[in-house]
Amino acid sequence: MTVRKFRPPNRLANMIKERGGILAKDAIVAAEAGVETLREASLAALDQTVAEIERRFGKAAENRESESFEALYLLSSRIIDVGQFVSETGVDKAAVSLCTLADSLAEAGVWRWDAVDVHLNALRLLRAMGAELPAEQRSAMLEGLYQVSHHKADEA
Amino acid sequence: MADPLLPSTRINLEKATVLVLDDNGASLDILSQVVSGFGVKQLFRAESVMDAQALIRTKTFDLIISDVQMPVTDGIEFIEWLRREGGENNRYVPVILVTGHTRTSQIFKLRDAGSNYVVAKPITPKVLLERIVWVAREERQFIECDSYIGPDRRFKHEGPPPGSDGRRKDDLPAEVGEAQAPNMSDDEIANMMRPAKVQV
Repeated sequence: MTVRKFRPPNRLANMIKERGGILAKDAIVAAEAGVETLREASLAALDQTVAEIERRFGKAAENRESESFEALYLLSSRIIDVGQFVSETGVDKAAVSLCTLADSLAEAGVWRWDAVDVHLNALRLLRAMGAELPAEQRSAMLEGLYQVSHHKADEA
Repeated sequence: MADPLLPSTRINLEKATVLVLDDNGASLDILSQVVSGFGVKQLFRAESVMDAQALIRTKTFDLIISDVQMPVTDGIEFIEWLRREGGENNRYVPVILVTGHTRTSQIFKLRDAGSNYVVAKPITPKVLLERIVWVAREERQFIECDSYIGPDRRFKHEGPPPGSDGRRKDDLPAEVGEAQAPNMSDDEIANMMRPAKVQV
């Protein structure tokens, strides 16, 4: 096998050190301020995603057996995308756990609806009052979710 | 290894042309706001790999930031395409992948996609700026072979993986081995560290 090793020109390297520009601390402040303007829209998007998961994968969903693991995975990852706005509630971590669960279900090829339901219940609860929960309770709840999502059938 | 980013470090991204790719509009907005906050003026947004590929065929980018989890074609396949078929102007561009979760089946694929760095979502401006500066300053070689195109995946100089002799001519054994000379004295070590005036 032929392996070629070389150093291609890195235009970014030259640009970033050109005269002018801004201090890193100011760049971070400006970026944080820009992100903050998206808080409301991002939370609305998050709530829509949670509602869609509930509608398609919740207990009341008419035909949830026919849904794909992939769809649940992608929807859960959309919650993580805007997770910086709900980090104090634990919703972002619950969504990570739901992604792990969807990935694990896809590998097994079998739904574990009790595991999905407990994640949806937790998402709803954390979104509503996660920030007000005592930190230990929130951690215990998330730890429970991790155990559910990391559970393998052959470990039972 | 590049120096850490200090708050007082001056960065200039005004002339950089940056592509951000994410299928989730809310996430794309966040990425765009962060990158704009860093002073980037030429920012291009794409909501699908197909849109990104169309942009790559017509523009030259200095940095690409892409999501991993996307329907139809994901970020891993996109980077693999970029490194092989992205054209001479864009094939070697620094790429930062962002992902909220990595599927078990994709851990190695993500490592072997050819990106310069992977950043966890939700992104924070501080972490993303640190990584941008890191990829701008890094001096890793590019590797091009049948199975991989991208920056050298070994960049910590930790020697070959345990239990293997390494595949490269310059690989040193992981084990240090027996000492070949007596221990240095404290004075000898101190002398090596001592600042000295040099004539240049």
